[in-house]
Amino acid sequence: MEVGNYLYLAMILFAIGATTVMLRRSAIIAFMGVELMLNAANLAFVTFARIHGDLSGQVIAFFVMVVAAAEVVVGLAIIVAIFRTRKSASVDDVNLLKG
Amino acid sequence: MTPLIAAAPQFVQPEIWWTWLAPYLLVLGAAVVGVLVEAFVAPRARRSTQLTLALVALLGAAGWNVWLWVDQFAPTEFKAIALVNGSLMVSYFTLALQTVILVVAALALLVVADRSRGADDFAPTAAAIPGSDYEELARTKGLQQTEIYPLFLFAVGGMMLFPAAGNLLTMFIALEILSLPLYVMSGMARHRRLLSQEASLKYFLLGAFSSAFFLMGMALVYGYAGTINLWAITNGHALQVPEALVGGRPLLVMGVVMLLVGVLFKVGAVPFHQWTPDVYQGAPTSITGFMAACTKAAAFGAVIRIVVWFAPFIGLDLHEEIQVTIVIVAIASMLLGSVLGVVQHDVKRLLAYSSIAHAGFVLVAVAGVLPYDGQTFVFPMNSAVIFYLLAYGLATVGAFAVVRLVRESQGRGADAVTLGEATHLSQWAGLGRRSPFLAVAFSVFLLSFAGIPLTAGFIGKFTAFKVAVDGGLWWLAVLAVLCSAIAVFFYVRIIVLMFFVDPAADDTEPEPAREVVAVGALGATSDAPVGTPLAGEPEAGVGLRLSDELRRTSGGVTVLKGSVGSRVAIAVAMVGTLLLGVLPGPVLDLLEKTVNFLP
Amino acid sequence: MSNPYVPLLFLMGVAAVLALGGVAASAIIGPKRYNKAKLEAYECGIEPTPNAVGGGRFPIKYYLVAMTFIIFDIEVVFLYPWAVEFRTLAVFGLVAILAFIAMITVPFIYEWRRGGFEWD
Repeated sequence: MEVGNYLYLAMILFAIGATTVMLRRSAIIAFMGVELMLNAANLAFVTFARIHGDLSGQVIAFFVMVVAAAEVVVGLAIIVAIFRTRKSASVDDVNLLKG
Repeated sequence: MTPLIAAAPQFVQPEIWWTWLAPYLLVLGAAVVGVLVEAFVAPRARRSTQLTLALVALLGAAGWNVWLWVDQFAPTEFKAIALVNGSLMVSYFTLALQTVILVVAALALLVVADRSRGADDFAPTAAAIPGSDYEELARTKGLQQTEIYPLFLFAVGGMMLFPAAGNLLTMFIALEILSLPLYVMSGMARHRRLLSQEASLKYFLLGAFSSAFFLMGMALVYGYAGTINLWAITNGHALQVPEALVGGRPLLVMGVVMLLVGVLFKVGAVPFHQWTPDVYQGAPTSITGFMAACTKAAAFGAVIRIVVWFAPFIGLDLHEEIQVTIVIVAIASMLLGSVLGVVQHDVKRLLAYSSIAHAGFVLVAVAGVLPYDGQTFVFPMNSAVIFYLLAYGLATVGAFAVVRLVRESQGRGADAVTLGEATHLSQWAGLGRRSPFLAVAFSVFLLSFAGIPLTAGFIGKFTAFKVAVDGGLWWLAVLAVLCSAIAVFFYVRIIVLMFFVDPAADDTEPEPAREVVAVGALGATSDAPVGTPLAGEPEAGVGLRLSDELRRTSGGVTVLKGSVGSRVAIAVAMVGTLLLGVLPGPVLDLLEKTVNFLP
Repeated sequence: MSNPYVPLLFLMGVAAVLALGGVAASAIIGPKRYNKAKLEAYECGIEPTPNAVGGGRFPIKYYLVAMTFIIFDIEVVFLYPWAVEFRTLAVFGLVAILAFIAMITVPFIYEWRRGGFEWD
């Protein structure tokens, strides 16, 4: 099987993730888009590691997973805090700051 | 197809040079100890313990860096020291930038630690629902959020790692270490909690979005170069473009540009600036000062690393693509920051747009990077950028320290309640009479932002634009000067407002009481009754009408005294700004002789 | 038995037999006595409510537990590469992983001391 196909898949996932962040209104869904982008990058890393016969791509994938987990926790904490004060997690309601 | 692992790699135990790692270990270790302090020390003693720990760590690391600089590097010798198998690359540039970050962060910490009467920036329990019984209880019991100190130190640790990163993975981890605490800290404001949480969410979502771009860029560069080590990438040690990627030069360019997107977001340059005004406005003001000054410094370190180390991508000169990107971003940042700054009425938003413009000015210097000719290892932009960032950092920390002392208040005499910051420009009218020290200090910072001679900002702008001219981009320098001229307008307007306009609302009768709910929740400026505009009300300075605005903010303005720490921070920032403006020689000479080598 | 994947397949088979066998055995030979409590939704020992608190939404506590779980669960990912190569990494690897575990313990202690693990 052609290795390049994994790269196309990674790019498509990345694009879907980016679109999700920009289009979806729910903070949690937007955040899931970010996670999808991170995992697309992971797939690209692992594919390149295979192409190069080099392990560092796989190591990076581990690090990215951990960073993504830390991000999830911080993000969820912020979203939960906002949800508790407003009873809504829509980014459209987050509109007090403008100028 | 290539086998999964070409040859089983041998494990080489990295040498750990503790001397060189000590500054990072000091700051991050103090942060970890700070978490334990939160767990074990009695609440009453936490604040003083944490503050001492953090200050010692920051100043200790700065001192250690100076010692490394003086004692370990031979002067005028080109060197980059690889630590832990090249995960970190320490050069003069790194040491200088880290020291700037540490010193500015120590000043910012004094401001963050200000818990004098009414001046506490942070909610007693950031997790509590604003206006809930639990929060009220926390307030009456005098609880203080002391987790802010470990978070602060973690952020500083990330900022130190950012310009020291020797490979892209370290750079990514540093980016996250500096960002995650900042997301949390932005949401902890005591006043205007909803704004603060909103700022936090915006910063987080956009920040995570941009770091995903950084990561994808990293993947593409890794795919092309087969390594993430900056040194190896620059020298093309491992460069064997795999068959699948032959002719994939656009892929590589895209990768480098995506890396730049990730770091330029942290810098706050256009078109990645959307978060800047909102977050600067919503975050607790002392944190805004820290974030604006130190994040920008750290992120520019990374920008320069990427630009210098990738421009001579071996065999493929990327100089042109990188330069075009930087020039476009610089122009957009300067124009947008300066022009939109003019129409702002909120002092924090105004400083945010000013920060966007400053990002553009620094990028003007970065754009002056010369193509790599294979021999010269001199990059004159390095010293210009570091000087600029030092000047900007001092003025920013000082300016936000002043902003947080000018408060709205309600009631009079003994039962006056201090509310959030009086950020509307009209509330600043007459500050010069009420509090000359703060007004003079703020004027100095504004003049430095504007780049008026005898302030550090002038020297910073001058050296930065000179680099661009020397790099052949004289038209860009002219544009930058024009943009600074636009920006001078809104800085000077505030100075006029502070010294030459009367504070109209001060002596009027007590206003109709506003909702007390506003204390915990939304804060002041949106819910007050709108009166009929007074006829013949004077204009404040240029084009800023006083009448409506003063009505809206009828609550009156108090100027807090602030703690000794924050007054010291303001004074040090002011003296530093003036000193660097009057006698920039020694610092500039020292920087030019050292940091202009490979960053 | 030259293929290295054969033992793996065998292991999967054993696992499947054990899992399915356990379910099947209890269905066949176990006593069947029903009562009301047994038919209710199982919520980890908590009294089930007709509607979840907060109009069908999960109480916030679940999120707190989820966050704690994610952070401590995912960090363990670093232990796997070390466990695979711990002979090669020798003392250096051991010290490094111990330092890592110590770092993970610090937030654990923090959360424990500040009551993050208490349900109410």
